[in-house]
Amino acid sequence: MVPLDDDSKKNDVRGPTGHPLEIPRLACGAMADLESYHAKPAHNEPLGFPGELIDDWKEVAIAKIGELASKNRAFQVYLDACVKCGACTDKCHYFLGTGDPKNMPVARQDLLRSVYRRYYTFAGKNFPWLVGARDLTREVLDEWYNYYHQCSQCRRCSVFCPYGIDTAEISMAAREILDTVGQGQKYCNEIIAKVKDVGNNLGLNPKALRATLEDLEEDLEEETGISVRLPLDEKGADILLITPSADFFAEPHIEGLLGYAKVFHAAGVSWTISSYASEAANFGMFIGSYENMREVSLRIRKAAQDLGVKRIVFGECGHAWRVAYSFLNTLAGPFDFLDQNYPIPQHILEFTHAEIEKGTLNFDKSRNDEYRMTYHDSCNVARGSRMGDKPGGQFEIPRAVLKAVCNNYFDMDRDTIKESTVCCGGGGGLLTDELMDLRTKGASPRMKALQQVTEDHGVTHMAAICAICKTQFSKVMPKFGYEMDSVLSVHQLVSNAIILDGQQTADDTSEAEE
Amino acid sequence: MSYDVNGTSVEHDEEGYITNLADWTEDLANVIAKAEEVDMNEEHWEVVNFLRSYYEEYQIAPAVRVLIKAVKKTMGPEKGNNKYMYELFPYGPAKQACKIAGLPKPTGCV
Amino acid sequence: MLSTLYALLFYTASVLMVVGLALKIRKYARTPAPLKIPTTPAPTTRGGVVLRMAREVVFFESLFKSNKWIWLFGYLFHVGLLLVLLRHFRYFTNPVWWWVELIQPFGVYASFAMVAGLAGLWARRFLVERIRYISSPSDHLMLALLLAIGLSGMTMKFAAQTDIVAVKVFFLGLMRFQINELPMHLPLLVHLGLVAILMIIFPISKLLHVPGLFFSPSRNQVDNSRDKRHLAPWAAELEK
Repeated sequence: MVPLDDDSKKNDVRGPTGHPLEIPRLACGAMADLESYHAKPAHNEPLGFPGELIDDWKEVAIAKIGELASKNRAFQVYLDACVKCGACTDKCHYFLGTGDPKNMPVARQDLLRSVYRRYYTFAGKNFPWLVGARDLTREVLDEWYNYYHQCSQCRRCSVFCPYGIDTAEISMAAREILDTVGQGQKYCNEIIAKVKDVGNNLGLNPKALRATLEDLEEDLEEETGISVRLPLDEKGADILLITPSADFFAEPHIEGLLGYAKVFHAAGVSWTISSYASEAANFGMFIGSYENMREVSLRIRKAAQDLGVKRIVFGECGHAWRVAYSFLNTLAGPFDFLDQNYPIPQHILEFTHAEIEKGTLNFDKSRNDEYRMTYHDSCNVARGSRMGDKPGGQFEIPRAVLKAVCNNYFDMDRDTIKESTVCCGGGGGLLTDELMDLRTKGASPRMKALQQVTEDHGVTHMAAICAICKTQFSKVMPKFGYEMDSVLSVHQLVSNAIILDGQQTADDTSEAEE
Repeated sequence: MSYDVNGTSVEHDEEGYITNLADWTEDLANVIAKAEEVDMNEEHWEVVNFLRSYYEEYQIAPAVRVLIKAVKKTMGPEKGNNKYMYELFPYGPAKQACKIAGLPKPTGCV
Repeated sequence: MLSTLYALLFYTASVLMVVGLALKIRKYARTPAPLKIPTTPAPTTRGGVVLRMAREVVFFESLFKSNKWIWLFGYLFHVGLLLVLLRHFRYFTNPVWWWVELIQPFGVYASFAMVAGLAGLWARRFLVERIRYISSPSDHLMLALLLAIGLSGMTMKFAAQTDIVAVKVFFLGLMRFQINELPMHLPLLVHLGLVAILMIIFPISKLLHVPGLFFSPSRNQVDNSRDKRHLAPWAAELEK
């Protein structure tokens, strides 16, 4: 037993599952070789980056560190301020899952900080051995690539740092440096290039999008007996819905989209999806590129102007809501052409919650009685945004909506929810198959917390409001003893429970949905 | 990186998706399926053929829900569900079936 | 001779510390924060941010959430150091300010808290595997330096007392650009020498966490991005 370590208690594994935040022994180098696929020139170039590793990469990378430090106060201050107190060392889900010490937030930051010190500080220039400064070499560059693509930029470490140092900021900067020298990551850069080309991550063209939406309208009519619309490119609609393209494609995402449609229908508002800005996600954030993030955001502005809408509402997507809530006004504002009586932009949960408060929605909660629910706070929503007027609304509003549509709701361990929520393990541009080992290990804290409420309260399903979380969980849950469809969209539960005016309420409706 | 189909090689990317979609043949599908440890039967072919015809019309793979609906029509409700799709293609109908059907990998948060 | 050397040392150290910190603070202040990145839930008003920052500075709120041992040792050290520093005003003021007199008895015992906190923090660097892993030689040396300053100071108070009247004459003299005689007393010379070193390395070491905290965007930004457009000057250029 290690003395003076308050967490040694957590090292005693209790039962088969163990504490969700149990601290592993260090496993040096455990994840050193995990390398996500590199982007091809065709992925890098449309983003304004060199196709392949450039010859003078070293000089360019060092200069880029200086440039970013002069353009971003967070990066500059966070490089300087760390005292290595260790408060963050047990806060990263990837460290908890892998034991690799370079997945401890401070150690991840140090991969870059050590090089910053070598070239930009008095101590590092003159006494590198003293302050852990090191030269930039090809090995260091490769190490950056591997370990900065093992950070989901979830900001959990930042909550616990006495100076608020946010590893996400360092990781975004590191990825931008890598991109600048031609070492982009395939998953992110291919997707950003697709958004610029087609309008969404998926590459879903307008014709296919229209066909999908029409197909879903048929399903809705079959289910409810009334016409519930999923309008596309309708000029003059009041609301532009910006939702992750996964909502047009994957399960359980699509069920959430049907939920939004029903809520809009019940609220009696006119709304539309845009085929030009058919994506809420903005992977420009993951790669730390202001310019790319801005370009993707401007598509939303243009779509809103072209369609003449009055409001913008975002669907369930975690990092997209961070970009929307925290950055959209900066990147693509000012939105003076929209109706100033509503939040710009607004989250679909804020919309639904407001309608529930107004009493415009009819629910039969018993339709969700087959589920015993818990809720996973998505990291970017929890720690990088807000809903409603008050701080913490991002925790209360989704729970209020869930409790309005479900009879059985239970929270997970308090150290794993709300501002302390543990990431799903697939965020920040890591939702790619070659990182499945990391994704599974990174999901283990969340999965253990889920197993606890399953044992204690018989919880069967977990709701989420992020496209990445939903996909990630449906892939990793089977590895932890759950069915892949144990993760649900929040608006899927809304959709199950809502009763629209004129809707057929035969008892078999909910079965037909399954 | 390439598949060997009766002596001719067909290039694929690091994840096994063919780089030139025109290279696809039924023989190639069998080769990819073998690499994926999928034993192709009539139902697998049903899915693969649906994916290919959908792709031909829309230049993208269908949503899983659309695929399932189509399968439900042809194979009946006991097979037209997500679970059965995963029995056919353990790594997912969207990704693994697309690979065998010679379609590009669906990208994004899927 | 040695008095002159120490006088020059303190003048140099003071200039380096003040100028170095001023330059760093200027750099932090002038570097724009391009995006709104408060760690949420965050205050929605300026006043709320002042409160949040005050809780960080006065109580180490985030550290408390994180790890009770680090918080305990860190808090003991910092509060101890603060009281000890305030007590040292008596060597620079004549007559001694009333509130310095008031904290005098606490200041003396605060040195025990300070040393105990430092010892605890240092012990963790050896005993906790994770913290051992992230510690550089400079992290150990910084604790050694602070500990040596504390212990040499305590030696003068509790063991080998020095002529503090002469010390005060020396420092009051320095403030008027006169060099008076410094007692040739080993613990004193060690104590003062190490303090000068600490002052010199302040702006070029991790001690920058002191100004850094106030400039940390995740803590000092107001959560009002939907209501108020935030735009960095270099980002505004992109819109032209």
